[in-house]
Amino acid sequence: MDFEQQVELRLALAESAKVLQELNLYHGSKWSSEALNGLVKPSNEKTVVIFQQLKRRQNTSFLAELTPQEEFLEFLEQDKVLVANSYFNFKELDRCSYVLKDCVSSKALFIKLYAMYLSGEKKKDDAAGGVLGQQGGKAQNLKLTQILKELENYKASIGNKVEDPFLLYLYGLVAIKMNDNTLAQELFYRSLTIYPFNWACWSELIASLTSFSEGSSILHKFTKNSKFVENPLYGVMLKFFKVTINQEFFQQFSELYDDLNYLLEIFPHFSFLKIQKALISYNALDYSTAESIFDDVLVSDPLRLDDMDTYSNILYVMEKKPKLAFLAQFAAQIDNFRPETCCIVANYYSLKFDHQKAIMYYKRALALNKNCLSAWTLMGHEFVELKNSHAAIESYRMAVDTNNKDFRAWYGLGQAYEVLDMHLYSLYYYQRACALKPLDKRMWQAVGNCCEKLGEYEDSIKAYKKGLSVSAEMDPVILFKLAKLYQAIKDTSNAAVFMKLCLDEEINEGVTNETAKARLWLAKHSMESHSWQQAYTYASEMTHGTSHEIEEARGIAREARAKINGRMNESIL
Amino acid sequence: MSANSPNTSTLTISPLVTKKKSKDYFQTPPFAPHNTQQNPQHHHRLFSSPNISKTTTTTATNSAHPLSNEDEEIPLTQADKLRLWRHDALMQHHYVTAIYVGDKVLSLTDDPNDAFWLAQVHYSNGNYQIARNLLSGPKFEDSVSCRYLAGLCLIKLEKFDEALDIIGEVNPFKADHSIKNPDGGIKLEASMCYLRGLIYSKQNNFEKAKECYKEAVLVDVKCFEAFSELVSNHLMTPDEEWELLNLLNFDDADNNNELVKLLYTTRLNKYKNVNLFEEAEQRLKDEYSLNENVDILLSRADLLFIQCRFQQCLELCEKIIQKDELNLSVLPNYLSCLHELGGKNKLFLMAHKLAENYPNHCITWLAIGIYYFSIKKTNDARMFFSKASMLNPNFGPAWIGFSHTFAAEGEHEQAISAYATASRLFPGIHLPNLFLGMQYLQMNNLTLAHEYLMSSYFICPTDPLLLNELGVLYYHRAQLSKAESFFQRALGAAKNLDSDAKAWSSIHCNLGHVYRRLNIHDKALNHFQKVLRISRKDVNVHSAIGLLYLKIGKISKAIEVLHIALSIQPNDPIALDLLNKSLESNLHITNKKLLSDNLSLTGVRQSSNIAFESSSSSLPPKAQVLQTPLNKPVKNLKFIGEDKKRDLDLIVEDLKRGEDSSDDDDDDDEIMEIESD
Repeated sequence: MDFEQQVELRLALAESAKVLQELNLYHGSKWSSEALNGLVKPSNEKTVVIFQQLKRRQNTSFLAELTPQEEFLEFLEQDKVLVANSYFNFKELDRCSYVLKDCVSSKALFIKLYAMYLSGEKKKDDAAGGVLGQQGGKAQNLKLTQILKELENYKASIGNKVEDPFLLYLYGLVAIKMNDNTLAQELFYRSLTIYPFNWACWSELIASLTSFSEGSSILHKFTKNSKFVENPLYGVMLKFFKVTINQEFFQQFSELYDDLNYLLEIFPHFSFLKIQKALISYNALDYSTAESIFDDVLVSDPLRLDDMDTYSNILYVMEKKPKLAFLAQFAAQIDNFRPETCCIVANYYSLKFDHQKAIMYYKRALALNKNCLSAWTLMGHEFVELKNSHAAIESYRMAVDTNNKDFRAWYGLGQAYEVLDMHLYSLYYYQRACALKPLDKRMWQAVGNCCEKLGEYEDSIKAYKKGLSVSAEMDPVILFKLAKLYQAIKDTSNAAVFMKLCLDEEINEGVTNETAKARLWLAKHSMESHSWQQAYTYASEMTHGTSHEIEEARGIAREARAKINGRMNESIL
Repeated sequence: MSANSPNTSTLTISPLVTKKKSKDYFQTPPFAPHNTQQNPQHHHRLFSSPNISKTTTTTATNSAHPLSNEDEEIPLTQADKLRLWRHDALMQHHYVTAIYVGDKVLSLTDDPNDAFWLAQVHYSNGNYQIARNLLSGPKFEDSVSCRYLAGLCLIKLEKFDEALDIIGEVNPFKADHSIKNPDGGIKLEASMCYLRGLIYSKQNNFEKAKECYKEAVLVDVKCFEAFSELVSNHLMTPDEEWELLNLLNFDDADNNNELVKLLYTTRLNKYKNVNLFEEAEQRLKDEYSLNENVDILLSRADLLFIQCRFQQCLELCEKIIQKDELNLSVLPNYLSCLHELGGKNKLFLMAHKLAENYPNHCITWLAIGIYYFSIKKTNDARMFFSKASMLNPNFGPAWIGFSHTFAAEGEHEQAISAYATASRLFPGIHLPNLFLGMQYLQMNNLTLAHEYLMSSYFICPTDPLLLNELGVLYYHRAQLSKAESFFQRALGAAKNLDSDAKAWSSIHCNLGHVYRRLNIHDKALNHFQKVLRISRKDVNVHSAIGLLYLKIGKISKAIEVLHIALSIQPNDPIALDLLNKSLESNLHITNKKLLSDNLSLTGVRQSSNIAFESSSSSLPPKAQVLQTPLNKPVKNLKFIGEDKKRDLDLIVEDLKRGEDSSDDDDDDDEIMEIESD
């Protein structure tokens, strides 16, 4: 990216931070301004050049130009918008939208409808009666129909003109709440092609994706759009999107790292990017890299709490108790009532096996922010620990409602139903988890196990085989299971093959319960097929297992030896 | 013409007024004391009883000269002066004076007119029995005005049979129908007809009452009392109303004929000839500058209400209330709009305001009833509705509200009998019949339901709710194409009326069910999705969508949707049943697909073991076998219901759901029915 473009990028981000701020899109504005500050720090003489350049193109804008009428309209409604914005800042949302009730300029309309939307969401949450409240599923945002109506009126009124990207974004938000993801994605896409420097819109688009294939088709659409090909600034935003979806869907390939490094070159100080990098490492199970990146972020931006809950998850998995404790204290000092803080503290308690307290903190996190993604899943885990399957199911379900890309929650649901002996249900959830993480053998094992419980041995075999095929090394547990399944469908020869394979793993893995059982089984099998010598070998090498099994092995060995001896005798005679 | 003629009004026998020129009584006189001296000649003529005055009438009419000449000609008699005293006392509500003086005049003259005026004083004072006694006896029987007042007193005393005796069971003056009333007041004949109608309606003889009222308006168009009774109680069907309007002779109103005609037009029902109404309203606004007149606004509110534009109607009603805080006629619409739009708080306030100002008016108790109905306290609501209808047994909204309380609790029998009363009281509105039809529909009595719905349909063929109910009826009769056409019409009507989105969500829902039964899955899905956009709370919609997805083989979508359904109502048997079925087919179909799909995908990534390769090669043919049911929904059904019995289950579910959808409609109707007043 050359210097000229960097200046333009600076300009674009600064404008977007300002515009989004005016529209009360705080997240987008925060992202843009952080990105702006994350850019490469120019040297002194370059700063002067930048200053001059900026001065020269003061009027460059990345938004569509307003017609004189629209400009005049905005001027007319300027005062009302000002007062509305100050009400908005005071969280007087209804008052904000009331003040603007007769305004028609797209800016005023956006603020009005956005305030209406947020107020509806807030009332919905209130009506739901708190975390895991009685009315949880039934409450709905009552303002949506009205917003939709006004947006449609607006659309009819502008005719063929370029649509307002922010109203499109809002329309998408409403569509999401109406569970119309395809429409929402279309709207977000349109909004972004008009104005791509709105990260809030990108992140909503990402949240609306349900599978990686959906994500890649949207990505493809973007890459084919001429705007994103020609304009390198648009390309930068698209790269952000690309990196984030790859991260969220657990994709790992070298292109991803190229993109990431490209962006990091432009934005070396942008915490968001660093965190993405950390998350990618985390997904690749490279915990220590992730940890060091998080440490780095903590140093460069010490009071940043965003994403620190993920950091605590990493520390939890690594069982770094003292560090987690430190992080909890640290976060609590910054702000005790941030959802992130509560999650960190909850993780800490969970690591100390104080599940009640952990749940309390998760609940607090959720009360602070209902869409706190990880809290629902983690709370589900805690409930499982407490053997409260129903509550666990409820929280997992909320987790997949807020983010259906969370395979842990799907897996958790499967487990919870398995405990309740509802295998048909748990199969479905395992399938979902499997679809999200097809390269994880645990998922396939779970599916296989379910199929077995349901009496579908063939399917079960397939699932286990898939599990085997995705794991790097042979797993004696799976092999043994497969052998057992073949036995169940009376396919003894295949069973014997897998028993053998299982036993062979003893060389790599050492003696385990499974290999021991396999050995015993093989011994018995050899007896049945009258290969006494083989049976004797298997049985005599049996050194591991329950006393009963060892006893049995000895019996077989004795018998086999007797048979061998007898046959020898016979042959001698 | 005789002064004791049914073709005159009381103006003829009223002191001061008769034969005066317009400047005397249209405006406040510039100097009041002159009142008594202005028209001595005419006073003389006026005061005398009709019988005696025969001679004077001729003179009076002959001597229609400039006033100034006659003013001084005939001095007032002693009795005349007492009459003026009595009259002024009455006008100033000095009843004691009026009675005292009137009694003396009567004794002096023994004139029936004086008896009439004395009785008038008693009546105003609330002493109906005294007035009645005064007028009874053969002495004053010949006087039409006396008979009229006697009848009125008897009605007040609730002696309807006796009143009918006096008024006569049929109009005794039928012969001289066409004679125009010269004095500009309301013909006594018309008033008597009106009284007769009133008596019949008190005696619950609505057919006769209707005829009498009609006669009253026909005799004199200025008898608005009768017209209002006819229209506001919906005694006539919409067609009859418009027919009557064409028969009316507006020349009775002299040069006001156009105005009166336009005014009456705005009062008629809004089911038909909306363009005529609009035109009349426009002309009233333009030519008579009545655009801010409350009655015109009221008519507009009625129209908006019929069109289900509740929000606009509410705004208009609020405007009217702002102008005229205690306007009772706006209240029924206002209250139903509030109920419809969920304005519980405003209902509460209004009910309290009314209870303070009109503790004995039926509308107060209606308001309280509606409030309780809105907050779902059905029992209390019923109590207050019945109180309202006790205060005024002919008060329609109260009856309908009363019936709704039963309907809301599923007490079909009682609801039906209450609705039947309402429908007897108001043959001119389609709502009671519609509700009756709905009740019968819920009781699965399709024949009766059809009958009532059709009779409602003849009154109002455009009501989307009615069309929807008819659709449901045909759905139950398995005449799906007919059902579809009715639902489509309902949808069209709802869109034309631009009514609330909420009102048509159940139409979409029903259409969805019809298309589902017709196996047009994409259309069905489309309609159900539309329902979901409006409201996401309905379990049945979600289950229906789940069933559809199941039929077209999108099993995981089906499972997702059914989960949502169960999250709304955890124990819904249909959703649970469907979920179990879809999970079963999930095991059989999706799971295998998942397993085989991924094998090919991961096979590329890792093909380490020979043993797996052999198995993966054996899979493709199997997968194909499994794909067929996915493409052919009919085969897929076999998975859902493996035997006939299961299929039957599905049909039962269909029926159940259809019923539910008609239940939904009830909710919407409730809003409408209260408006019915």
